[in-house]
Amino acid sequence: MIRLENLHVRVGTFDLRDITLEVPKGGYALIIGPTGSGKTTLLEAVAGHARLKAGRVFMHDDEVTNLPPEQRGLGFVYQQYHLFPHLSVRDNIGYGIGRARGRRDRSDPGARIAELADMLAIGALLDRQVRGLSGGEQQRVALARALAPRPSILLLDEPFAAVDPATRQVLRRELRELHEREGITTLQVTHDFDEALRLGDLVAVLAEGRIAQSGTPEEVFRYPNSAFVARFVGTGNVIAGVVERTDPGNGAGSFRGTFRGGSLVLDVVAEREGPIHAVIRPEDIVLSLTHHPGSARNHMDGKVVRLERIGPVTLVHLEVGRPLIASLTTQSVEEMELKAGKPVMVAFKATAILLV
Amino acid sequence: MPVRSLVSRVVLAALGACLVLFIVGPLLRLLFFASPESLGAALRDTELRDSIVLTVFTASLATLIAALFGVPLAYLLARRNFPGRRLVQGLIELPVVVPHPVAGIALLLFLGRRSEVGGALAHLGLEFVSHVPGIVAAMLFVSAPILVSGAREAFRGVDPQLERVARTLGDTGWGAFRRVTLPLAGRGVLAGSILAWSRSVSEFGSIVILTYNPKVASIYIFDRFTAYGLQAAVPAAVILLLVALTVLVVIRVLQPEERR
Repeated sequence: MIRLENLHVRVGTFDLRDITLEVPKGGYALIIGPTGSGKTTLLEAVAGHARLKAGRVFMHDDEVTNLPPEQRGLGFVYQQYHLFPHLSVRDNIGYGIGRARGRRDRSDPGARIAELADMLAIGALLDRQVRGLSGGEQQRVALARALAPRPSILLLDEPFAAVDPATRQVLRRELRELHEREGITTLQVTHDFDEALRLGDLVAVLAEGRIAQSGTPEEVFRYPNSAFVARFVGTGNVIAGVVERTDPGNGAGSFRGTFRGGSLVLDVVAEREGPIHAVIRPEDIVLSLTHHPGSARNHMDGKVVRLERIGPVTLVHLEVGRPLIASLTTQSVEEMELKAGKPVMVAFKATAILLV
Repeated sequence: MPVRSLVSRVVLAALGACLVLFIVGPLLRLLFFASPESLGAALRDTELRDSIVLTVFTASLATLIAALFGVPLAYLLARRNFPGRRLVQGLIELPVVVPHPVAGIALLLFLGRRSEVGGALAHLGLEFVSHVPGIVAAMLFVSAPILVSGAREAFRGVDPQLERVARTLGDTGWGAFRRVTLPLAGRGVLAGSILAWSRSVSEFGSIVILTYNPKVASIYIFDRFTAYGLQAAVPAAVILLLVALTVLVVIRVLQPEERR
């Protein structure tokens, strides 16, 4: 278990503030955020490399705020691997075995190295020097090295950023399996929400040194609480505008209103008036070639700008007086014979519009 | 444009060759100027032998002292951002730009019996002027900057993240330094030390002011030259040159591949 309470870390002029987060025992949490949002600083603070200005860090109910890194019992994998260049692969992996306080492991270090090498398919590399290993191989060695002393907590700093996409897929799967097998509480940093969706039980979106939103990946993706989070996690179309009330309403709760964002006027169900962002998920947008409003309250004429095929799904880039992206199955795109320049009817329900 | 690039390459090569010849030419001339017999005679000359032994001993002592105080400083300069770091870095490099006789005079004033520091040390039995400690002090003054900057660059070449990794793997700060940083920077630190050592061996300007006798090799050669002329100075000069060449080869071997 990792618990962070109101962490405040200052690095140069950058502040990481009010960080409160709990990763349950055996959980897998991801911190996501753009470059410069303070992700790495946060991990370094958890590891004990960064000095805290305020706040407390707990691991398994023990406070470790003032403990040096070597007494926290954690493994740390960096984006750039940082293998020890003067040691062989075997010695890299064995570096921490039997060294850390409170993890005195009387079993044979060779056995642990062999076990990890087997798990990560790097048995053939053990006697090699670190120089000359591929990015994927280096990352496996770095993982094995971090796991070798059997840490109860694993910190990962963008571990897959520097490997090619095919290797990344494989490593992600292996990491998830390893996590389940070893039951390690894991905290990973990434700038890739896709990774969070695939790996995490819990995500926290970091923006300018603060946690903008945290929850399950599904929650954050479906119900972003701000335009920033919506844009960052790629929820879809984020449109700035203003909401006006159209029905007198019954006092409390939601009411029906009109959202105006540029040339776009939408019927919405809102909870407050004034400046706001409308978020429309691409899969909630319905396209048709003939006008059929159905139950959708918002419909407009549009034109296909371009198609972006991502496997079985195709993103249809539309122009409706402003750009809009719809997501359809590739099959229906083919059935409708959509192509750039083709006029289409665009519709979505008022309830499909999330106002943040 | 192949013609132009060919011309420019020839011009660059010619300019470089001139300078290399200018450096190699005199040294080769010196090497072959002395007859084997005169070299043999020089080696049998106890005064020359004593001066070489004294030079090697004092230079080694100066290097050890420089390493003892300089390696931690080099690590600090490479890794920590403390107030006044740039100032310290500038001060430590000062001896490089100070003319060596000037350094000698400054050391004489600082360590002579009439200064407070020199007087106090003399009271403790440590005499500098016209004594062996004077040679070591002069060598230390001129060579320490070389050792510190060499070691500093060596430490700078080691990714500080490696230490952090070692810490998360259970090492203390000192353990990480000993097991990661030092092995990785070791060759660079050693190369810097050898460079400092050879700088000490070749020092003349400040030693001549501080301690003329007992004579180190460079002063012995100067002494032979002024007292007996060129022929008498050459064999000793050749032997010192050979020592320097050996050191150069050792440094080249020690230097990490990528920096060669």
